[in-house]
Amino acid sequence: MKISSLGKIFCGVVLLCAVGAVFGAERFPPPEFDSGYQQPTMVNPGARSNVLEYVDVAVLVAVMSLTCFLVYKKRSRKGIFWLMLGSILYFGFWREGCICSIGAIGNVVLSVFDTNYAIPLAGLLFFVLPLVFTLFFGRAFCAAACPLGAIQDIVLLKPVALPVWLAGTLRLFAYAYLAIAVLMAATGSAFVICRYDPFIAIFRLGGNVNMVVVGGCMLLIAVFVGRPYCRFLCPYGVILRQLSRVSRKRVTITPDECIKCRLCEDACPFGAINRPTAEWAEGDYRVNKKRLGVNILLLPVLVVVFGFAGYLLSGGASRAHVTVRLADRIYAEESGEVDDTTDASVAFRGTGMTIAELYGNAAKVQKQFVFGSILAGALVGLAAGVKLIRSSIQWKRSEYEADRAGCFSCGRCFKYCPIENVRLKKLSEQC
Amino acid sequence: MKKGMTKFELLTCIVVVLAIAVGVASLLMLDVTGKGGNRLRGDFVYDIGDQVVVDPALILYDELAESIKTGLEATRAIAVDNGGNVYVAGGAKVVVFDGAGQQINKFDFGGDVGCIALGRDGLVFAGVKDHVEVVSPDLSKRVSWGSLGDRAVLTSIAIDEDYVFVADAGNRVVVRYDMQGEVVGYIGRRDEDRNIGGFVIPSPYFDIAVADDGLLRVVNPGAHRIEAYTFDGDLEFSWGKAGSDIEDFCGCCNPVNFAIASDGSFITCEKGLDRVKVYGADEKFVGVVAGPEQLIGKGNAAVCQTPAQCQSGGFDVAVDAAGKVYVLDTIKNVVRIFEAKGGGQ
Repeated sequence: MKISSLGKIFCGVVLLCAVGAVFGAERFPPPEFDSGYQQPTMVNPGARSNVLEYVDVAVLVAVMSLTCFLVYKKRSRKGIFWLMLGSILYFGFWREGCICSIGAIGNVVLSVFDTNYAIPLAGLLFFVLPLVFTLFFGRAFCAAACPLGAIQDIVLLKPVALPVWLAGTLRLFAYAYLAIAVLMAATGSAFVICRYDPFIAIFRLGGNVNMVVVGGCMLLIAVFVGRPYCRFLCPYGVILRQLSRVSRKRVTITPDECIKCRLCEDACPFGAINRPTAEWAEGDYRVNKKRLGVNILLLPVLVVVFGFAGYLLSGGASRAHVTVRLADRIYAEESGEVDDTTDASVAFRGTGMTIAELYGNAAKVQKQFVFGSILAGALVGLAAGVKLIRSSIQWKRSEYEADRAGCFSCGRCFKYCPIENVRLKKLSEQC
Repeated sequence: MKKGMTKFELLTCIVVVLAIAVGVASLLMLDVTGKGGNRLRGDFVYDIGDQVVVDPALILYDELAESIKTGLEATRAIAVDNGGNVYVAGGAKVVVFDGAGQQINKFDFGGDVGCIALGRDGLVFAGVKDHVEVVSPDLSKRVSWGSLGDRAVLTSIAIDEDYVFVADAGNRVVVRYDMQGEVVGYIGRRDEDRNIGGFVIPSPYFDIAVADDGLLRVVNPGAHRIEAYTFDGDLEFSWGKAGSDIEDFCGCCNPVNFAIASDGSFITCEKGLDRVKVYGADEKFVGVVAGPEQLIGKGNAAVCQTPAQCQSGGFDVAVDAAGKVYVLDTIKNVVRIFEAKGGGQ
């Protein structure tokens, strides 16, 4: 039976009225205190919290739009810096790091795999909007809207350049993290990105001690190594990197033609400036051609090897799921491996579910993990293989360029360009 | 060390490597499954140590040395007839004991008995899951009343001259039957116009009794009070309040059971913090029959932690014409008998 739009609106209004008609009943008595503590009066939570979600979306769009304006029109690092501070205060400390585009990966994945889970619209927009902006303007989100990136950026005081091979290898961790995050969310095990967000405890001014330590260590590393989380761990960054490669606009170091003065060569603390390339000598060309052939052949091998590694790790990984953990525990209790019980095992025995049913459910989850872990491993193998292939290709560049995938659009390099300084009238053309 | 590495670069390397090591160690030590407990300070522990001990001056009853060993498992309900015989329900059986604790009769209802009551001519009314069964003492007559539905969980029966009231914890309502087993009304359904908020019943304990004033007393356990209804379902008044003081009802849902003595006083049973207390006919706290220390043992009193624990463990209580209080200990499956100190009621 089809319901007209008017009918849907009517049903919606009726449902809203029904919600309004719900009234509370006395249930648990409040605890008593001897200290003279006064119980606060219970009030209904306001509707503002829902509105705020959409305010957050509007702020996100505004920040990314302003970033594009500052990067492409004004070419202002100072403006981007202040915008970063604003994002840290708004999305970080005030909104306490949630909702976050990076963590939204888990929500999106779970909503795809679990039909009973519906992602909030604001969460979906937080996931999608930065991707759309990246397709058009590169990593505008990373530049100033992401509080995680921003907090690392502002503590970068003594940057140390990492060798290209090391940075490239470390980036594989981000692929692995993305694969694990997707696997855990798809199986309903955990939102690992949110759980292991290193800065959430800092933004919330409290939290698990271990995570505070992790956040502190990450910030300490970020003093020397530019944006370590963004470059080597961020799973959302993996997606943004690929979209940024094909973005409509891209950041340019110089506002005009590059004069290859080399002044910007070491300007980027993130290693995202590509130098002009020289033609390969005949000998080098032949060597690299061979290497390319080997690497292409290596690609399926890496996919299989990493996929197999995923298979081997699937058993351990499946213990992240609460059903598998519970089944393990019940098995240990039943087989006499342990003498005591846990709250979870006692609660399970109170549910009336049989142990066979529990084992059956756990086996289903384990199967999902086997399949998912192989795919996750294969993804990391594919990323490693493609990296090797890319390293064997000669990319022709005639001038210094911001790396399309790796550039965070932070604007640091602008001031190193003499052409830019001429544009800003800080230098005369003669100079 | 790479040739040409400056002191600053070396120091940076050391700091970064140390930071990575500490960060990774912190991550590995992170307790994501909750094995380490909640790590809250002792102030947050739900400590009922003070409530377990009852002021001896408030204890008005002595426990008799001999208890009745029921021989049943999973005892659930108790009733006492005018002759001092004690009826105990456990599992599918109801066993009758005389005043000396000797078994004199036994009924098998074929299903778990949740509650019992005694009618005229020695008729035994038993709530068997979703319906009432009525059995004559010599088993010559047995009648099954209609089911109250799949959700029904019968927890108490009270009998008046003309009506039988059945407490259905599953449907959160008291059903009024005539003596032939026909439903004639419902009591306690939420009705704003009649100022009835409905019953809050988190666990299967929902007791009722008819008092001499002609009103039905119904425990509203989640609201921690006993409510008085006319047989037509009008809420007249209620008494009792939540709190951990001795005169209050503690925990999530108490009292679990109660009985009305011949002088109109109320004997209440609480679970979790097991207490049997006396309230006068004017609903004022009078004293304690037995406290947690006596009923459970000092070190054993504890609040429930799991659904299974919270759904069970409630004691039942009955009182005979002489004022003797019979407490059905559902843990030890015995009937413990208490007499007022000095022999008075």
